[in-house]
Amino acid sequence: MGEFWRRAAYLLTKWKRDRELAEEMAFHQEMADRRGAGSKEFGNELRLREEAREAWGCMWLDHLAQDVRFAGRLMRRSPGFTLAALLTLAAGIGVNVAAFGFFNLAILKPLPVKDPESLVRFHRLAPRNYASDLPYPAFDFYRTRTQTLSAMLALDFARLRLQGVATPLRAHFVSANFFLELGAPAHLGRLLDPSRDEDPAEAAVAVLGYDLWQRQFGADPSVVGRAIQLNGRQAMVVGVLSETFSGLTFNGADVWLPLRKQPEFVTGSPLLTNWSADEDGVDVWGRRKPGVKSAAVEAEMKMLTAELRKLHPEEGWQGERLMVAPGGYAQSAGGRNRSTGPQPGLRQQLAPIFAMVSAMGLLILAVACGNLGSLMLARGVAREREIQIRSSVGAGSLRLVRQLLTESVVLALAASGLGLWAGIQLLNVLMRWTQGPKWLVVQPDWRVIGFTLGVGLLAALLFGLAPALQAGRGLVGQRRSNLWMRKALIGVQVAASCVLLILAGLLARGTREAVTRDPGFAYEQSITVDPGLGGHGIKGAEARRYLEAAKERLLGLPGVEAITMTSTPPLGNRSSTVGGEKDGKQFPIFLHRVDAAYFQMMGIPVLRGRVFREGEKGVALVSESMARRLWPGQDPLAQWLGEGDNRLAVIGVTGNARSLALSDPDAVEQYEPWTEEDLGSMALVVRMAGSVEGRAGDVARAVREVDSVVTPSVQTMREAFARQVESSGKVALAASGLGFVALALAGFGIAGVVSFEASRRMKEIGIRMALGAKPLDVMRAVGQRFVLPVGVGLVLGAAGAAGLSQLLRKELYGVSPLDPLAYAAALALFATMAAAAVVGPARKALSADPVRSLRQD
Amino acid sequence: MPKTEMPAGALSLMVLRVLQSGPLHGYAIAQRIHLLTDEVLRVEEGALYPALQKMLFKGWVKAEWGISDTNRKVRFYRLTAAGRKALEDEMSEYARVHGAIQAVLRKA
Repeated sequence: MGEFWRRAAYLLTKWKRDRELAEEMAFHQEMADRRGAGSKEFGNELRLREEAREAWGCMWLDHLAQDVRFAGRLMRRSPGFTLAALLTLAAGIGVNVAAFGFFNLAILKPLPVKDPESLVRFHRLAPRNYASDLPYPAFDFYRTRTQTLSAMLALDFARLRLQGVATPLRAHFVSANFFLELGAPAHLGRLLDPSRDEDPAEAAVAVLGYDLWQRQFGADPSVVGRAIQLNGRQAMVVGVLSETFSGLTFNGADVWLPLRKQPEFVTGSPLLTNWSADEDGVDVWGRRKPGVKSAAVEAEMKMLTAELRKLHPEEGWQGERLMVAPGGYAQSAGGRNRSTGPQPGLRQQLAPIFAMVSAMGLLILAVACGNLGSLMLARGVAREREIQIRSSVGAGSLRLVRQLLTESVVLALAASGLGLWAGIQLLNVLMRWTQGPKWLVVQPDWRVIGFTLGVGLLAALLFGLAPALQAGRGLVGQRRSNLWMRKALIGVQVAASCVLLILAGLLARGTREAVTRDPGFAYEQSITVDPGLGGHGIKGAEARRYLEAAKERLLGLPGVEAITMTSTPPLGNRSSTVGGEKDGKQFPIFLHRVDAAYFQMMGIPVLRGRVFREGEKGVALVSESMARRLWPGQDPLAQWLGEGDNRLAVIGVTGNARSLALSDPDAVEQYEPWTEEDLGSMALVVRMAGSVEGRAGDVARAVREVDSVVTPSVQTMREAFARQVESSGKVALAASGLGFVALALAGFGIAGVVSFEASRRMKEIGIRMALGAKPLDVMRAVGQRFVLPVGVGLVLGAAGAAGLSQLLRKELYGVSPLDPLAYAAALALFATMAAAAVVGPARKALSADPVRSLRQD
Repeated sequence: MPKTEMPAGALSLMVLRVLQSGPLHGYAIAQRIHLLTDEVLRVEEGALYPALQKMLFKGWVKAEWGISDTNRKVRFYRLTAAGRKALEDEMSEYARVHGAIQAVLRKA
């Protein structure tokens, strides 16, 4: 048994041992008395026992218990202070818990599926290309040959019409092992079964999503076994999926079908046979065999890809490989995208958001700590007497520091508990407010709890250390440095809350800008019709026939003014980018393939040069922002894009229309005439003469009559625009909330310090008043000490905001991160608040009777 | 009875040595040392009990309840194997230091 265990055993039986020791000593004394030999006093028995206990090296525990008891007593004695301190700190911690909880959900916490750690997701990567999906035959090829994976899963999505329902359903076509492999629970009936549903000869089956079952089938359990009509095809409902199943993607599905049946429901779909890397494929996951590392999977895939290239030399990209990424996390559940040029992962895209959110959280915490620090410091001064007494009865300075720190820690732990609760509630509210997926359940796990405790203890150190050290060091005659420290704490609070306020102001300005500013294209009267022809294998001449027929039909509708065609409808979720490069810096260029009427119809001005003629090739138009970025100070019309035979002559410069990245002032656009190959992915934009209100339905009905197979998605651009602005507005509102919390905290902090200062100087104020000083002079005397720290804080805050706001650049709708209005407004608001916080308590001091304050102690 | 200062570290050495011949209770340990030193050294209770606790902590001795000569329930301390080892170490260390001091006293 080592010393550690003996000590542990001692601690467990401490009371008993202590009693035994006392008994033993009593016996000793008795014996000595009897002999008369040691007739002298036995000594202070308590002190002796304490010394004996010290041998076990656990006096600290006694002291700790003592300190904790004392801290608790102290907290109860001044409930006002305790409440203020608790709430302040809990607010600071709560905001951080919410921020971390979000980070935890998105990055750290695995999805609620079976063994998420061993899931990997595959991406296709080539030096100049990226895609998050693979051709289905390639998936099949890897699946049958892999040795490192125990299973491979695939998913494709489509929109299907359920008979008798107007809005199309979101359908996920999945490999039949999908549910089994992920351990998905069925709410009713069965889910897909790899032993039958992988077989194309079997009759089609469907699994209903829980929501659809509730919404459309009135939660009727007898739906299992019934046939439903999807896109006019029959499928038998075999079960209902449990509500708790997350799947592997963010956008859930209404209905799940076997992937092998996809062409039956999406008529003409080439999905299962298409080898081309440039057309739609399936999202692919794999499950690593136990003990197999991701690197081994990647190595095997490299080998298999080389083999595959030999069989199908034409169908790949130059230098293509499969990238293996973790698959069981929310961050890997992003949507499908592909691009030419460099592709930032979701993690990179989220990085600035997380940086921003954590910066804001830390700022709030800094304000809360600064606030508490000044409270504690003020109290430390008020407790000078108590501390002097303690010190004169023999408390060492270390012991004193420890006691004061214990008080902070007790406070911090209580506040951590409160903050944990508040933060989880806050995150829950935010999740509901932003309509996050239902399965993203916010629950404190060990990471969140550990984080909370860490932040709480950090806060205890931050706000408790300064006053504790101060008390331990010299006690008296330290007022100068005490004042200095209080000033510093005020400066910190002002600076941190100022940063928050400015950032909130910028976001609010951005949202306002989004609503009031001309986005550079006319969206108010347009309706997007995206038929998704490629998904049905419709392309080339057939696609052109469809598009012509649809145009004709739509032009026949009352109120339709004009129609144009684009590969990337404005405000849609489809985008295509090519990589641009200037001075070694890479940036994405949004590529639009349009018809000649697009510019005029979308209200995008052609500033220089001309629009291409119908059927013209080898030409492009660029946005003004792109011209400025690529060829500053040069004539854009003399430039070429790309190299060799495929190079394009720049024939015109258009106004900036960031139709796919509304809020990003750095987005640049390139327009090319559409070609035969684009026809399968073209969408129509319809401009109405009057209001678009309620017209989307007419348009949808009209285009559906063109072809019974195709199910176009139809929406007004106003709706899409409103959705986007709304989400920006929510961000701005949340940031403003934080900003005002910080403002209020800092305000209370300053007011508290000033009123403390005033009460300490009552006597001086009384003398001044008695000698005939004007109230204004007195107020100046009290307030002037705080002008400098507030001023320095404001300057530092503005500087900090200038640095941090660069992270927000892409979210500000072109408002400069240094927007003077936002800065001035925030600083003015802050200065007003600070003045009020100084003047209020100072006035109170003035109203006191000078004679009475002179008589005090 | 003259009170003589005890050399540092000597107390635990003597306690261990005294316990070598068998378990004793605290008071008996003090008495034994007192008698063995011809009443030169007197073990203060204030030093004895912390020293015993330290030995318990280090695992040199074990405490067990027994009955004293005066028919009282009292705690006896028994030397453990580790205690025996410690006694040997302390004794040789003491001899070394003692020898060194002697050398100075003789030669200087």
